[in-house]
Amino acid sequence: MNLRPDLEVPRPSRRSLLTGALALGASFALPGCAYIRDDAPTDAPLPPSAKAEIDGDLVYFNWADYLAPSVVKGFQKEYGVEVIESNYDSMEGMYAKLAAGNQYDIVFPIAKWVVKLRQEGKLRSIDPAELENADQVFYSGSYFNDPWYDPGSKVSVPFTVYKTGIGWRTDKVSSMTNSWKDLWNDEARGRIFTLDDQDEALGMAALLLGYDVNTAATSELDEIKDLLLSQKEYLRAYSSDDINNMTSGDAWIHHMWSGDFLYLREALADDPTSFDFQAPDEGVPINSDTYAIPENARHPGTAMLFIDYLLRPENAIENMNYLFYPFPVKDALPAFADLAKSVPACNVEVSDLENENVFRLLATDEVQRRAAVWTEVKAG
Amino acid sequence: MTAGQEVAKRPRSAQRTSLWGWLLALPTAWMVVFFVSSMVIIVLLSFGRTTNDGYPAFATSTANYRAIWNEVYLELLLRSLAYAVATVIISALIAYPVAYAIALHGGRYKNVLIAAIVVPFFASYLVRMYAWKALLSDDGLVNSGLRRSGLSDGITFLNTSGAVIAGLVYGFVVFMILPVYASLERLDKSLIEAGKDLYHSPVRTFFSVTLPATRAGLYGGVLLVFLPALGDFVSAQLLGGANTYMMGNLVQQQFTEGQNWPLGSALTVGLMAALTILMVAYLRGTSTRGREI
Repeated sequence: MNLRPDLEVPRPSRRSLLTGALALGASFALPGCAYIRDDAPTDAPLPPSAKAEIDGDLVYFNWADYLAPSVVKGFQKEYGVEVIESNYDSMEGMYAKLAAGNQYDIVFPIAKWVVKLRQEGKLRSIDPAELENADQVFYSGSYFNDPWYDPGSKVSVPFTVYKTGIGWRTDKVSSMTNSWKDLWNDEARGRIFTLDDQDEALGMAALLLGYDVNTAATSELDEIKDLLLSQKEYLRAYSSDDINNMTSGDAWIHHMWSGDFLYLREALADDPTSFDFQAPDEGVPINSDTYAIPENARHPGTAMLFIDYLLRPENAIENMNYLFYPFPVKDALPAFADLAKSVPACNVEVSDLENENVFRLLATDEVQRRAAVWTEVKAG
Repeated sequence: MTAGQEVAKRPRSAQRTSLWGWLLALPTAWMVVFFVSSMVIIVLLSFGRTTNDGYPAFATSTANYRAIWNEVYLELLLRSLAYAVATVIISALIAYPVAYAIALHGGRYKNVLIAAIVVPFFASYLVRMYAWKALLSDDGLVNSGLRRSGLSDGITFLNTSGAVIAGLVYGFVVFMILPVYASLERLDKSLIEAGKDLYHSPVRTFFSVTLPATRAGLYGGVLLVFLPALGDFVSAQLLGGANTYMMGNLVQQQFTEGQNWPLGSALTVGLMAALTILMVAYLRGTSTRGREI
């Protein structure tokens, strides 16, 4: 793991590197002919769960800098294994590596990618009975016993949850209204950023218009396109580098992820009170990252132990204090509420999880219709 | 010199030919496997489609080529061309004096100076772009300096067309400096002396003697800067604003969020075709002018 010496150096948002690095990475990530095929299996039977026992070093595949190094070190020490780290800079990149047959013991897919990987039989089952701390996430009545992306919670364990909202500079802007309309704010004209992310940008406009964040209906997409085009004169840029855009003074209002905002405010800002975050009244997209074990993992037993280790409340709290993203681990929730108490809008409640604003896995024609609109918005 | 004389002088040893043949086989094989085959895949895929599961698949559809005839894409192409041309012109204006100074006045420090220009280019383009962001942001070093010195309240550098072009120039100017330097280096310095005697003016000497004599290097530099600048997406992505999207960004998007490799491939092939036409026209133009001298 990379060590971060202190919190003074802003790390780019884990997703921000996607924007540039992906670009460079993509050309290497494309697995060539192996990917070009017409017979992708669907709803394959799930490979069985492994036992939680050490069966080798852990080959770990995650976004860069997306777990506290101290926690990873603790695992290595306690179990006497190495954690061999690789990183991806986009879900597409992660998926392409798996599809090309690369072997990893643990990956961290975002909810809708769990749907895809599970459908294609690329993930092993995870039997909660094997995990000592399973009751921290799979307690009675927990949302995660049967999340929309993994019915019956067969192949995934929840890692973090977060929402998308608006961060802004309280010392520059005084006319916020807790609406997505604030991304059209006159005071901040020319200093507003929208996330450079197809789902997030289209989802934001859909919520403002009262549509489903996943809409692929042509007439609704046309309205979304016009709405987003009307925003361009207010925008400085489309960028997912939300943390840096805010710390550098370039952004006064930023469409951003709750965890990134909290990290920015609590760990980076000279004056935290000059930053605030809102979860607009029209509703906010909610998303989950998960732990999953690829079907071809060579050390699935170690991966099970690793997941169990990360579910220990003290480790979840240590990770939260580093990442500022909430972990839905029962005994760690009060600690996160405490971390987010200065900006309650950054907290994620179970009621947030149950809303319908989740980015689902869409059919190809739907994705392409949405992509065409997003292209025309950015190019227009 | 005519082609006939050139051939006559070449050694015709059969042994040497076969050695060369073997030495060439490896790089040729490399090119066929990794360059030509990936081109072939791109061309085939440009007639392809995307399956319901989101996989690219080969097919025989011309739908992707019909899709690229789109007003928005044409606008992007024109914008990218404008950025690339501006990049070439600015690069030439920077590269020529730098190369001239080093080649003619560098003395024994020539190689050190060239190394000083080349070495920073070993650092990733991406990392250097991030460094630019840190320098030029609204609260960055440059703007804080301006504010402290009272010269200005701060200038919005980032997220503008200017920032994208500046990023492109910074990224590719070395490809202009090196060929120009090489041609200046080869230039017979006594020609310049003679020019000064003839024209009595350094400026006229430059335009009548030095510039024409180093034209080949400059033409090479123009191509080496123009092509990557036109296809670039990193600069627009990191330094650009809401209205600086380029062709490269468009292609990249099709291969990622857009889930449309076949359309991305068709755009790539279309762009390559446009570039080939431009390049052939350019090479014809330059070689005709070359013969007139």
